Amino acid sequence: MDKSKKMISAVVCLALSVAVMAASASSFLAARNVPLPERGPSVTEVKMLSDWFEGVKGTNADTPVYVLQGKKEGGKMLILGGTHANEVSGYMSAFTFIENAVVEEGTVYVLPYANHSAMTHNDPGEGNIQYFTLTTKSGERTFRYGSRATNPVDQWPDPDVYVHYPSGQQLSGSETRNINRSYPGRPDGNATEKEAYGIMELIRSEGVNIGFDLHEASPEYPVIDATVAHQSSMDVASVGCMNLLMEGMQMSLEQSPTNFHGLTHREWGDNSDINVAILMETANASQGRLRGATTIAQVLGGKDKCYDLSEKLGMLYVPWNQITGAPFSGVGHPIEERCGRHLEGIKQYSEAYNEAHPEAPVTYTGVPGYSELFLEADPSELGGARLASFLL
Amino acid sequence: MLTLIYRGIVALVLIVVGWNLFVPEKNADEKLSVKDTICMQLNAALVLIPLVLRLLMIK
Repeated sequence: MDKSKKMISAVVCLALSVAVMAASASSFLAARNVPLPERGPSVTEVKMLSDWFEGVKGTNADTPVYVLQGKKEGGKMLILGGTHANEVSGYMSAFTFIENAVVEEGTVYVLPYANHSAMTHNDPGEGNIQYFTLTTKSGERTFRYGSRATNPVDQWPDPDVYVHYPSGQQLSGSETRNINRSYPGRPDGNATEKEAYGIMELIRSEGVNIGFDLHEASPEYPVIDATVAHQSSMDVASVGCMNLLMEGMQMSLEQSPTNFHGLTHREWGDNSDINVAILMETANASQGRLRGATTIAQVLGGKDKCYDLSEKLGMLYVPWNQITGAPFSGVGHPIEERCGRHLEGIKQYSEAYNEAHPEAPVTYTGVPGYSELFLEADPSELGGARLASFLL
Repeated sequence: MLTLIYRGIVALVLIVVGWNLFVPEKNADEKLSVKDTICMQLNAALVLIPLVLRLLMIK
């Protein structure tokens, strides 16, 4: 091959390489722009976590805090979505709350992305989707699908063993980027610990009375369709749980284990004056090890043939094809069922809290619950359309 | 310091790979077929991609 032809082929190869780099880089960098909720009727301001802890300012650990001020003074409530950014109903419930709630008494702080860094990447090796779209009241909106853990761009390398501060508990090194193993955090720690510390500072300085951490888990995980509460919250949690069962929603209640550190339901109660610390889990097929291909239909629709088979083999901890109390079957666990569980849980537990603490109530209206989102839906609407109808 | 060293290594590899893209054969007798030449050039071009993209992760 003569020199000039060689030069031309080299330039063509280089141009192809640059084109691939440009496409990949733009997709990689676009993940850092995370879509935010619209301001609902009670949103009085949108602050940043750095307003409570300067240590996260200017970093990916800083995250928006939506403040919903009630018409009357009252107690303080905190809702975390996106602690694990691959747990879709967590942050979508936060979005739904922000965009619908009319707070009557008290103040509600909502973090749609408790681990903001985790939302800026995800796990392509798990076959994760990157985005999904919903047609809401204002038109088509795009939402991200994130990762369980802090972005390694923000915190790297992982140690071999993660030693929790201050308990000294040892876990796998990869858990160092899991914010739900990092509470209460520390001001001079790694990015995840700083973010956890910032949230603790919000709880302590605002005097938050009741807090919710919204999660999902694989259907083969034993703590599923469940609430975990700090021991000081069990009186309120028990009442709330009974009310949920009377509303036709299956829910189990567990007390936070005292020797498992770093989680919200443990550390919020141990390190602040919060009255009620609650974590809720719903079933998410796209997180499970038994799933088939990870698709948008699976993430939003909650249906999977592999899980249909797993149910027949007795491998699941939740009903799959016939959800207890549902008027229809064969719908899996769509996003409406999962968000409905979280939002109904927040409603019932906060009402139980208000009964126990009438001096500092938090009351609100306008947020759809389990019936409105799921039980009363037409099955053809499930899988995103019904949820989208409640979003701005 | 580690970032500087890493950037230095990446720069060196980029130079070597770039040279490999455009360098003529060592000897006049060393004739590569068109297919082999393009294959080598594509290899070099592909090697560049993760090296450059990795730079996006350095803050």
